[in-house]
Amino acid sequence: MKRYVVRRVLLAVPTLFLVSVMVFALMRFMPGDVATRMVEGHAYAPTLAALRHDLGLDRPVHIQYLDWIGGIVLRGDFGQSYWTRQPILDEFGRRFPVTLELALLTILVSVALGVVIGIVSAARQDSASDYVGRVLAILALSVPYFGLAVLVVVLPSIYFKWTPVWTYVAFTVDPLENLKIMLVPALVFGVTRAGPVMRIMRSALLDVLRQDYIRTAWSKGLAERPIILRHALKNAMIPVISLIGLQMPLYIGGSVIIESIFRLPGVGLFFFEALTRLDYPVVQSVNLIIAAMVVALNLLIDLSYAFLDPRIRY
Amino acid sequence: MRSWTRAFAIKSEGASTAPSDFSPRMAAAKPALETRTRPWWVEVWVRLLTGQPLGAIGGAIVLVMLAAAVLADWIAPYGFAQTSLRERFIAVSSAHWLGTDELGRDLLTRLIYGARISLYVGFGAIAIGSVLATAIGVVSGYLGGRFDLLVQRAVDAWMAFPPLLLLLSIMSLLGPSVWNITVVLGIAFGIQNSRVVRGVALLVKEHSFVESARALGAGHLRTTFTHILPNVVPTIIVVATTGLSTVILTEASLSFLGLGVPPPYPTWGGMLSLAGLDHMYRAPWLAIWPAVALSLAVFGFNMLGDALRDLLDPRLKGG
Repeated sequence: MKRYVVRRVLLAVPTLFLVSVMVFALMRFMPGDVATRMVEGHAYAPTLAALRHDLGLDRPVHIQYLDWIGGIVLRGDFGQSYWTRQPILDEFGRRFPVTLELALLTILVSVALGVVIGIVSAARQDSASDYVGRVLAILALSVPYFGLAVLVVVLPSIYFKWTPVWTYVAFTVDPLENLKIMLVPALVFGVTRAGPVMRIMRSALLDVLRQDYIRTAWSKGLAERPIILRHALKNAMIPVISLIGLQMPLYIGGSVIIESIFRLPGVGLFFFEALTRLDYPVVQSVNLIIAAMVVALNLLIDLSYAFLDPRIRY
Repeated sequence: MRSWTRAFAIKSEGASTAPSDFSPRMAAAKPALETRTRPWWVEVWVRLLTGQPLGAIGGAIVLVMLAAAVLADWIAPYGFAQTSLRERFIAVSSAHWLGTDELGRDLLTRLIYGARISLYVGFGAIAIGSVLATAIGVVSGYLGGRFDLLVQRAVDAWMAFPPLLLLLSIMSLLGPSVWNITVVLGIAFGIQNSRVVRGVALLVKEHSFVESARALGAGHLRTTFTHILPNVVPTIIVVATTGLSTVILTEASLSFLGLGVPPPYPTWGGMLSLAGLDHMYRAPWLAIWPAVALSLAVFGFNMLGDALRDLLDPRLKGG
């Protein structure tokens, strides 16, 4: 187990190196010049050359890369925004809890919905409730979350004079108020993500229910509820968990849109604002941090299999 | 759906009573070969209509969308960029069946042309992506060794990014345009699915017919094209059909953020756009119809893709 973890962590190093090179190259070799825009549009510096020197853009590309990656590895310094000159890591740290909370609540909603409907669907295969559940899952899968989000923001405000709360309150300041704000975005996002969870849950449970140990459980006279909830569910959860792991990047990517619509000050909005201002260091470092998180999360999920299914050993 | 699962269940039961050297696949394939009289591509459609009602509904939706896209110039009542400032924010009326937007453009017209752009980007990206996925996957899987290791680490790195973040970064640098988004989505789709193709190529490579071909003196190029590629094609078709809805949705979300297809081209994502949110309070139909169109399209492609996968999946072949 220990050796496996060490090997996986070592394998992640070249991956993250390639990630950093890719994101850096993207930012440097593509058209769009931030310095021109900063000088002409906003008079950040007297001349273009002065600003380029100031931002370090006049140095050779490989030096710029080494400077950026060296700062991260050696000092934990992810650079600063071109426009505000604020350290990126500080801003990321301030905003990350919002995005994490949104992601966790979204997963909670989608898993709660998906698992319950999936269990009912599998336990009553080919019954009316199975068909209703499956059609619901397909519908949920088809509605784009940003479309649903726009409808949820617009329609109730016209017809019921109800609007989502626009001013964000941190969880640490007022937990109840905070949850009230986060509930609507999480519900919207979670409902549209429940479809895949339900489908995987259903097929995994159907698969497990046909296995010998379940037949044994039936024949020793156990009731349906303990068979499904205690014996079958745990094994059927493995694909569900790997699905959530696979979808984690989707939750973070989706947070760009959800946070923009519901005006939540999270990482997604931070990223999107930086993008529209061509703030390279921010886009670059946020991409890298999140990619590193995804890699770490995948490792954690692989390890969690060993906990769920003791037969799996590394 | 039901008859499918039942047929499958009966088959596996029959297999358990058969002698051990008689594999369930052979048991399944034999009667199917005897009864099959239609060519396989007709068979697929017949089975789709009889055995997969949801898939047939999906197919019908896709056909309507295709018709709208192809016939847009004839069936759309107005021009897609034709503005009329005196007719702004008109709700449903006889002149404008679905109403008009903030510039007095007819919503129905824009929805119809939106189908064209969605399909154009969707099919274009899938075509580029399928070729790319095949090239990377087959070469990487067939050659193996150090080359494979290197390519796969690069694919790992690409997959570590949340797709939307990476696509947004690239699109913001390239600038929104129909061509850019098609190519970018195609490349993303190709890299992502090269894994699947590589997996199949690795399996095919181990078959003895590949070894025989090599022993008979076939070069790597010939082996790849005549022996590996034909066996990878069904997987590519499945990946492509199920990927269409994802590509269309991704295009819509990028256009929604203003980094996909630029105005004045109408796209469903762009019509829902973040920038136009303020107008929707005045004219909710501006939000409703594009959302409905997008959902229907994704629903159609999902259902059709699922059904086709059931029919084409090599593991279910002959069932």
